[in-house]
Amino acid sequence: MTAEAATAEPAAPAVRRGLPRLDRWGLLVLPLVGFLLAVLVWPLTAVLLRSFTDPEPGVENYLAFFHSPVYLDVLVNTFVTAGLVTLVTLLLGFPYSYLMTLASPFWRGVLMLAVLVPFWTSLLVRTFAWVLILRDTGVVNELLPGPPVPLLRNLPGVLIGMVQVMLPFAVLPMYAAMRGIDRRLLQAAEGLGARPAFAFWRIYAPLAVPGVAASALLVFVSSLGFYVTPALLGGPKNIMIGELIVQQLSGVLRWGFASALAVILLVVTGGLLMLMSRLVDLRRLLGGAR
Amino acid sequence: MSDGGSVDVRGVVKRYRDTLALDDVTLHVPGGEFVTLLGASGSGKSTLLGVIAGFTEPTSGSVAVDGRDITKVPPYRRGLGMVFQHYALFPHMTVWDNVAFPLRRRRVRGDELRTRVEQALEVVGLGALAKRLPAQLSGGQQQRVALARAIVFRPRVLLMDEPLSALDKRLREQLQLEMKRLHRELGITFVFVTHDQEEALTMSDRIALLRDGRIVQAGTPEELYERPSSRYTAEFLGESNLFPGRDAGTVLVVRPEHLGVLPQGESLPQDHEAYDCDVREVVYLGSGLRVEVELRSGQRVVARTAARGPHVPKPGDSAIVHWHPETSVVVSDDE
Repeated sequence: MTAEAATAEPAAPAVRRGLPRLDRWGLLVLPLVGFLLAVLVWPLTAVLLRSFTDPEPGVENYLAFFHSPVYLDVLVNTFVTAGLVTLVTLLLGFPYSYLMTLASPFWRGVLMLAVLVPFWTSLLVRTFAWVLILRDTGVVNELLPGPPVPLLRNLPGVLIGMVQVMLPFAVLPMYAAMRGIDRRLLQAAEGLGARPAFAFWRIYAPLAVPGVAASALLVFVSSLGFYVTPALLGGPKNIMIGELIVQQLSGVLRWGFASALAVILLVVTGGLLMLMSRLVDLRRLLGGAR
Repeated sequence: MSDGGSVDVRGVVKRYRDTLALDDVTLHVPGGEFVTLLGASGSGKSTLLGVIAGFTEPTSGSVAVDGRDITKVPPYRRGLGMVFQHYALFPHMTVWDNVAFPLRRRRVRGDELRTRVEQALEVVGLGALAKRLPAQLSGGQQQRVALARAIVFRPRVLLMDEPLSALDKRLREQLQLEMKRLHRELGITFVFVTHDQEEALTMSDRIALLRDGRIVQAGTPEELYERPSSRYTAEFLGESNLFPGRDAGTVLVVRPEHLGVLPQGESLPQDHEAYDCDVREVVYLGSGLRVEVELRSGQRVVARTAARGPHVPKPGDSAIVHWHPETSVVVSDDE
């Protein structure tokens, strides 16, 4: 419903939906709209068109993808890796965020800084640092007795690198959600006969679910597009779709096929998100049916 | 034995770093009584309730319910009902599930669970709202749910931490009456914390007035109001006028309703004590007048008098304020 439609019905309730009436200040939104059109909408459209036209019009690129198990494996591996990264990140991030809500302001600051400092460091630098740490003659294997444990060019390497990159994205939304939970509810539950552990899982944890879901979504979707980390820390079996796209673009110059890969990733991700929003009614989890 | 448990607090001290929140508090609450812990903020009343509930561990001293020492018993095994100022309803559970929570923890199931939850909701008059979420209720309704949840498992003692402070005046007065009724019907012990002296006077069988972590005076509302032991008690409960006492370190307390105001020259009733004064303000209250007078010393004194009669004071009148000595109380000056 537009502003015009709302004014056309005098009996309509005072709450207007849809677009607010724009005055001249509304023009300030134009730079952002223009920027998004230039860097998001236009390139995406170009990618979509190219996937159907390059090298010649048709669905050749998509057929090529679905006819080759190698490419499908990469897609599956991408989603499995992102899923594992999400799981590990949440398992590490949940207690960390919880601790942050309990800590004194000073220690909360320290914990926050510990999460954020790597965030401010170049991804490339951090990934190369992991190579030095994880390789057979690296710090970890020097300290461990016995033959070197393979931590590089395999899944554990990719997971370690990606989890470290994704931790801030998991901790910040979860901490924000947990900070809003009234800890006195736990006290009330204990007063009513619940053991502390039970009170935590039945009262605190459900209230933290929206934050956890937000973190999971953010980490999962971001992980799907990783390129540098799996390329440097993973082996030939750990190729993710981002690497494949780069390979096709700059290696073999199949721009049309690379575009098709990007479109497939986008479509599958969008489909998954829609499925998730169907299965998980976030509003119910938030406890307010308003 | 009544349905209410007795509560014994003995020599409880609670020290936080460099502040003494509770300073050797001893209190006996007989089973079935409605006791109010009254005090200004920071007096230690909520800390004391927390010690009884088990949320606050005392530095020293002991707490017993029905003679059984529970000082080391965790809150979830104390079996005491608790109502908080902030309601503390579980926001993700319906009213029904909130009330069922303590019963489920006690392995009550099936028909018994259903009837007991329904009964508790009936008692607070919220049977129709069982399927709502707390956010869909008004403050008064939320506190009623909290009350139902606190009594549904039939605790022998119900602890309440300023349960009405977040509500507006009308609702507060209504719930005060409901709580009195509930106390009568259930027969359990109520330990009620408030900073509102009027609330304490209307609701309690007994009041313990706290100040700086100590109990200043404990007794029935009547005792505290009519025979305060100190200036602090006299000033905290109700309005009071203070006159210098005969002995050093004492003051004379006279309640406004015991003061009379007569025009200059009128003869005083026999044996009455009196001061000359000027009438400053007269407020019509419906039930009477609130007359504020200024003594020659400059001190302001408040009297409550009848709105009709031969001598209705007017602002600016020269007058005499007087009282019968039996209505005054000599107390220690602890200010």
